[in-house]
Amino acid sequence: MSISRSVFRMMVGLALVGLFAPLLAACGPVAPAAPAEIVLGTALPLTGGQAREGGYFKKGYELAIKEINDAGGVMVKEYNKKIPIKLILYDDKSDNTTSVQLYEKLVNEDKVHALLGGYGTPLISAHTVVPEKYQVPYVNGGGATGEIYARNMKYIFGMLASIEKLAHTLMDWMAAQQDAGKLKKPVKIAVVGENTSHGKEFRKGVQDKTKAAPDRFQVVIDEPFELNLKDADPLLQKVKGANADVFLADARIADYTTIHRRYTELGLSHLIVSYGPRGTEKAARDALGAAADYIVSCNWWSADIPTQEAKAFAEKYQKAYNEPAEWFPALAYETARVMAKAIETAGTLDKVKVRDALAKTDMKNSLVVGGRVWFEANGQINNDYVMMQNLPGGKLGLIYPKNVATTDAVVPIPKK
Amino acid sequence: MNIDLPALIVGAVLLAGLYATMSYGLALIYGVMKIVNLAHAGVMMWGAYAAFLVITRLGVNPFLAPVIIVPLFFGLGMLMQRFIVRRVMYAPPISSLLLLFGIWLIMQNVAYLLFSGDTRTITTPYTLTTFKVAGISISVNRLVVFAVGILALVGLQRFLGHTYVGKAIRATAQDGAASQLVGINTDRIMEFAFGIGTALAGLAGTLMALIFAFDPDFGRSHLLKGFCIVVLGGLESFVGVALGALVLALAEALSILVVMPALQDFISFAILVIVLVIMPGGIMGLIAMLKPKGVIR
Repeated sequence: MSISRSVFRMMVGLALVGLFAPLLAACGPVAPAAPAEIVLGTALPLTGGQAREGGYFKKGYELAIKEINDAGGVMVKEYNKKIPIKLILYDDKSDNTTSVQLYEKLVNEDKVHALLGGYGTPLISAHTVVPEKYQVPYVNGGGATGEIYARNMKYIFGMLASIEKLAHTLMDWMAAQQDAGKLKKPVKIAVVGENTSHGKEFRKGVQDKTKAAPDRFQVVIDEPFELNLKDADPLLQKVKGANADVFLADARIADYTTIHRRYTELGLSHLIVSYGPRGTEKAARDALGAAADYIVSCNWWSADIPTQEAKAFAEKYQKAYNEPAEWFPALAYETARVMAKAIETAGTLDKVKVRDALAKTDMKNSLVVGGRVWFEANGQINNDYVMMQNLPGGKLGLIYPKNVATTDAVVPIPKK
Repeated sequence: MNIDLPALIVGAVLLAGLYATMSYGLALIYGVMKIVNLAHAGVMMWGAYAAFLVITRLGVNPFLAPVIIVPLFFGLGMLMQRFIVRRVMYAPPISSLLLLFGIWLIMQNVAYLLFSGDTRTITTPYTLTTFKVAGISISVNRLVVFAVGILALVGLQRFLGHTYVGKAIRATAQDGAASQLVGINTDRIMEFAFGIGTALAGLAGTLMALIFAFDPDFGRSHLLKGFCIVVLGGLESFVGVALGALVLALAEALSILVVMPALQDFISFAILVIVLVIMPGGIMGLIAMLKPKGVIR
């Protein structure tokens, strides 16, 4: 019986496979070729109206990525190795349209693995549609307004607690002052806010708490005002006419300065004065002098938070850039670290898996207030705020929450 | 709610001085050259930064800063007219609009490059200083700004009514061709008028910087307010501009009795539309219309 040549060849092939199969199996699965870099992309306002804040974010991102790369990169289990991060950074010129275009470019041309956010509600609201559309994991440290996260997006995560929560924190602190006998009950509140989603959420937060505790709070005036206020007189005359005990406002630095200058000129005084997240800025304190003393502010971070992580960041930032750390670079730094951590947890650069890892983030020993990063179902963090009070001589005291407070709040504000 | 009406009115009157100062230059340039100077906002912004540099770097008294800034901006305005604006003087209006808009954007971006987007303020020994008259707090800063606005009006009126150049500016504004026929060098006069308009914008920026915080985007909303005032005043009369500023400031202030403060800009633009539709000659046009009938004597 003769065997054809082709059948013979097949049999020899099978015999060889049979011979080497155990050997191949012993070697285990071969890791796919790892990319040379993990490419992260961001567009920041490096010029234009938000250039100052954008510059801070750039420094925060670069500091975090340098640290990660100095340690060899991010461990990605899929490739069984540490891979360094490359950051592609563009300038959106503080322009919404440019920001959207640049995020499109980052996704479609630069083929980034993940995205870091820009700064400011208008820019972030605009460009977050891009990562959502292309399903690219995205984290920002510069957008607090709840409207960013109220759009049922799955790929968008934010490291700033909401503005409503800011207002709630302020109100909770006032309730604590009432309980301590430093503030009367009920207290009459005048609340004003810039006519933007930021201001609206702040006012809503104050109203929510007032409705929940009418025995503690009573809002006697609730007014929006135009951005870049030309004349604060009419607004402040209304505030004056309302005879409130407490004056709460949500304003940007320019409006905060304009309003509080006029507030002082008109001789107004209240038991507590707050401009929401504003109050501690050096430029405003220089412009207002002693008039800025005792203003209470609520913020996402402070270099004075008495935790190891906050102190360590403040020190390395000072060393790297020879300037004191503000909340902007601190949150940018932590944003980049959270993304790196999510990639490490996912063990892959697969975008869906990194997104899922972000959603399940539970990062301890973080520098954020409360020391823990996690995201609610809407993608926004829900950690505490830190409250500060300007003190005479350009000093600053942390006054709330208790676990980070460095001094007792001065309530009521001493009459000048 | 008890609104302190006298204090509200006094505040509005003081603000009107500033509104008028920021609108004179716009009215002068439109009156003489019939162009809408969109770069006015950029000049006001640069006036604010010039004040910032002169006061904080050179240590000049804030109220003397205009002595340096006004001549400087006058010269810059003349140069701008001679080398840039003149080229589109007789082109369709859209050319000058686009050109001056472009100049504004360049000014803004140069300011971003030089000063960053940081919000700046000027703090003087008089900042926050007030005194009381009949129980009303008067800010020294605002009073000085108001006084400068009045001085600028008086000075302009005297200059235009009693000097050769002033009369030539008025003549050119009325009829350029006829002015040339009687020997007026209208090119030179336009250059001069643009210089004065720019100096007034610089002065307005300086005064505003003493009251408001500013950044390179400063001036945008003030420019829009300036348009309202100039239209309300009647486009070519400085007294009309001053009256327009007063009416607008009072309307904005008193509007809080019926609408929320956030609608102040709405009030300005509603006035602009109403005036353009039913009273295109503005306040001065209305006065002129009423005069022959003996209503105003």
